[in-house]
Amino acid sequence: MQILKNSNFEALSKIAGMKPEEIIELIKKSGLTGRGGACFPTGLKLEFTRNSKEEKYVIANADEGEPGTFKDKLILEKNPNNVIEGMIIAGYAIGSTKGYLYLRGEYSYLRNKLQQVINNATKIATKLKIYFDIEIISGAGAYVCGDETAIIESIEGNRGNPRIKPPFPANKGLFNKPTLINNVETLANIPLIILDKNWNNNLRLFSLSGNVARPGVYELELGTSLKELVELGKPENKIKAVYFGCSGGCIPYEDIRLDYEAIKEKGAVLGSCTIIAVDETQDIVDIATNIAKFFEYESCGRCTPCREGTMRILELLQKISLRKAAEKDLELLEELCRVIASTSLCGLGQSSTNHLTTALKYFRNEFTDKLK
Amino acid sequence: MKITINNKEFECDDNQTILDVAKENNIDIPTLCYQDGFEPSSVCRICAVEINNKLLPSCSTKVKDGMIVNTESKKVLEARKINTELLMSKHIKTYFIETKEHELCKIARNAGIRQIRFTKAKKIYIIDKGKAIITDNNKCILCGKCIQQCQMQNVNAIDFAYRSYHTKVTPAYENKLDDSVCVNCGQCLLACPVDAIYEKSDIKDVLKALKTKKHVIVQTAPAVRASLGEEFGLPAGTLVTGKMVSSLRKLGFKKIFDTQFGADLTIMEEAAELIERLKENKNLPMITSCCPAWIKYIEHFYPELLNYVSTCKSPHDMFGAVAKSYYKEKYKINKKDLIVVSIMPCTAKKFEIQRKELKKEVDYVLTTRELARLIKIKGIEFNKLKDEEFDAPLGLSSGAGTIFGVTGGVMEAALRTVYETATGKKLEMLEFNQIRGMNDFKEGYIIINNRTVNFAVLNGLHNAKEILEQIKNKKCRYDFIEVMACPGGCIAGGGQPIPTNKEIVEKRMQALYLNDKNKAIRRSHENPAIIQLYEEFLGRPLSKKAEKLLHTSYIKRET
Amino acid sequence: MSFRDIDEIIKERKDNLLLPMLEAIQARFGCISEVNAHYLSKKTGIPFSRIYGVITFYEMLYTEPKGKYIIRICNSPSCYLNGSLNIIKFLASLLKIKSGETTKDKKFSLEIVSCIGCCDKAPAMMINNKIYGNLDEKKIKKIISGLK
Repeated sequence: MQILKNSNFEALSKIAGMKPEEIIELIKKSGLTGRGGACFPTGLKLEFTRNSKEEKYVIANADEGEPGTFKDKLILEKNPNNVIEGMIIAGYAIGSTKGYLYLRGEYSYLRNKLQQVINNATKIATKLKIYFDIEIISGAGAYVCGDETAIIESIEGNRGNPRIKPPFPANKGLFNKPTLINNVETLANIPLIILDKNWNNNLRLFSLSGNVARPGVYELELGTSLKELVELGKPENKIKAVYFGCSGGCIPYEDIRLDYEAIKEKGAVLGSCTIIAVDETQDIVDIATNIAKFFEYESCGRCTPCREGTMRILELLQKISLRKAAEKDLELLEELCRVIASTSLCGLGQSSTNHLTTALKYFRNEFTDKLK
Repeated sequence: MKITINNKEFECDDNQTILDVAKENNIDIPTLCYQDGFEPSSVCRICAVEINNKLLPSCSTKVKDGMIVNTESKKVLEARKINTELLMSKHIKTYFIETKEHELCKIARNAGIRQIRFTKAKKIYIIDKGKAIITDNNKCILCGKCIQQCQMQNVNAIDFAYRSYHTKVTPAYENKLDDSVCVNCGQCLLACPVDAIYEKSDIKDVLKALKTKKHVIVQTAPAVRASLGEEFGLPAGTLVTGKMVSSLRKLGFKKIFDTQFGADLTIMEEAAELIERLKENKNLPMITSCCPAWIKYIEHFYPELLNYVSTCKSPHDMFGAVAKSYYKEKYKINKKDLIVVSIMPCTAKKFEIQRKELKKEVDYVLTTRELARLIKIKGIEFNKLKDEEFDAPLGLSSGAGTIFGVTGGVMEAALRTVYETATGKKLEMLEFNQIRGMNDFKEGYIIINNRTVNFAVLNGLHNAKEILEQIKNKKCRYDFIEVMACPGGCIAGGGQPIPTNKEIVEKRMQALYLNDKNKAIRRSHENPAIIQLYEEFLGRPLSKKAEKLLHTSYIKRET
Repeated sequence: MSFRDIDEIIKERKDNLLLPMLEAIQARFGCISEVNAHYLSKKTGIPFSRIYGVITFYEMLYTEPKGKYIIRICNSPSCYLNGSLNIIKFLASLLKIKSGETTKDKKFSLEIVSCIGCCDKAPAMMINNKIYGNLDEKKIKKIISGLK
């Protein structure tokens, strides 16, 4: 896999002779975009963050929490060198000397190994006169802390409530200073870009799980057919739908290109390339209820539509499951979805209804069959 | 630059939010979690407006040239309705008697909501009944305004706990408010839009006492006469002293006295105390002690600096002490029959009178709001009342006593007496303009017998920490400091009519300063009733009797 | 009750960051009790109410001690699709406790959690820091009985 190529910190030696602006140009030219789901051009982000004389920070977002996603875990387990190297290179490029690796609590068994990698990398970097101190901060079990401003709040010692944007972290982030936050996979690609002229920007890590016999992380080109990916997973039953994690929504299983535009046209979000395969023995209403429970539990509780709305969505879905709901409950459910998606403060709330909106679009009969 | 709201163009500056511009132009966008003077937290989402097919919170979205805003589109109204219904289904209203116009209900009414389509939440939280303040989490809609106020005060007694639907506002480890560092200033109460925080009511007990044959007397704080009228529709800053006295008489109090008399007494004692400390150069700076929230604050956070605090009791408490000794003896009233009620703009006073260091000088404290309610319960038509006068001897006061209700007032009153007592000379100008006004930190100096006396005035507790740290590190250049916990002074206290905002507070302030200006006697030491009290009973300030009755001590409290 | 451990923890964090301090206290004492949190507040200047707010926000921080083995069983979609509900029911009946509870002998605590990133081994659980995947009733019995 391209993502597991480990160059033993060769990229560090290479960039030690480069100017920060050159590095940023290189990354811009590569077309690298954020691999955490938001797809923001990484080079631009580096440029924005660099634009200030204040002290700056780099945060590696290792709070992988989207259900069905385990690609960052693979990278942290099998190629942690690249992640740390990427952090140091990013820090050097923007003029920062301090970085935090925010590692989700559930991955804390990787902490010792990561610390060793950091120690090695720091030794090598220091010899190259690159000064960058990395500290591992353990998360403590909150999905919302995968949001970039929630991570900042969490590190600062607060509840993990996302902040309103603007201001953006590139201007006012950690401790109110310019901060670069990148997903672990994004950072792991940076050394590859530095060293490999033939780095393939079209490859993505697809986390495949659910009703498949061979779940796993598959590195494939964007645009691969969904069927091709799912077949690799060797499903035992006929697949009826796939969910793009909990926040990306669902589509009926078909021969569709796995790229952002094609999925967007179907009303779903490819995000961080998570595919959960659902076979025809499964009940969409049950799955909807399960996902609603997830959002209700993980909502940070700060804003009205998400805190109250996710609970009410769960309540209504449970009512539908118990066959106690009427048509007006379904209408209320849809109204709730519109309002939560449009008025929630952060990405969690805003995307918490995608699964339901798409399920109602493509599998409405499964819901209406249960109405009184 | 220009933006368009609902098809009309408006001028604006680039640092304004959409809400700022709307307010300036009388366009009503409902808000719940927004507070003047604070960074918008943007969490209630009620203020959402439509721009480019997206809904954005108007309280925190800055304007951009050419922006087109719609505050009444279908999307906006649908969102407002749902979010309001969500909050209404969470909020459990239990009474009809509210401390203020219920902001959530007003929004629901204006949004045309007739039914709540979500199942009503169950009452699951125990109401925390404190000595001064009651908090009911069943009514809380988690707007966070109370926490913002408490953080601004640097008290931090409460914060959010738990997550998602189970989020709750609470002191640490679910301790009761009374067991936390809460100082009872009541700023949270004033901010709460849904009446989830309100004062412990003493109306029942006072009504009961009034029904008996006991000798129930009442005293009124200066701030009350400048604000009570608002509860009856009168404009802010209307001085209603005469009607206030008349209504109290109609309620059945045997004597209507004035806390301002107590304030004059406090000045006598405190001035003497300051002069003594200045002479001995000990325990300086002296810090005022009339604000019980401030006292609790320093007892929690800086108990090691308690020796700097004046030992004077607060005015209403000094009054109570004099009432239950001098007045009782002079008018031959049975101790068991004498009941003292204070009408205060303050919630902390309800806690204060139960302190073990005090001796039950005051039996009950009613807030300004409670008095208004009492007047309404008894069917007294306040606005039709004729003006009446306070009773003698404890109803006579000077202008210095009046300005106790505003920030800087205690300092000014004290300086009038300190200067004239220490120098024997008359002050040319009785007004100390450098310490008047809403600024949260004011300072000045005065030369007394060739010595420069530096003084400072703080209101709102957020500056207190800095000054206390200076004192701790022996780097404080002041000799005399006045601290009032409420921003603006007692006229902005937790017991005042709601709303209490900057504009209204300034009007109340003006009313009291004007009252002082128009009074014949403006110095505490020239109050004949005070002079008589010392001659007949106390002897002189800081006498043994004065020390016993009018001075107190403080305790160390855990944080 | 010696607060020396907490003093050391505070000393190590010159930047006064709360989350790592809380995790260190929990690692040492099993939870963050009111007494310890109060001491931490006094020494660091971080408001007591905020410390409680942070502890109760995070799923993996506790104000009261849990069992020796904290079982975190995932109920997110990938595990759900692979029968997590049955696993949860089985565990609950095996340990005779409901989720959120601790066994009487203080050995096991059972928690239903969100995705732990073991979707390729669904249904999965974590016990303290160890991952157990591809669970079935037989495996679970063996794992539980193997824990002393």
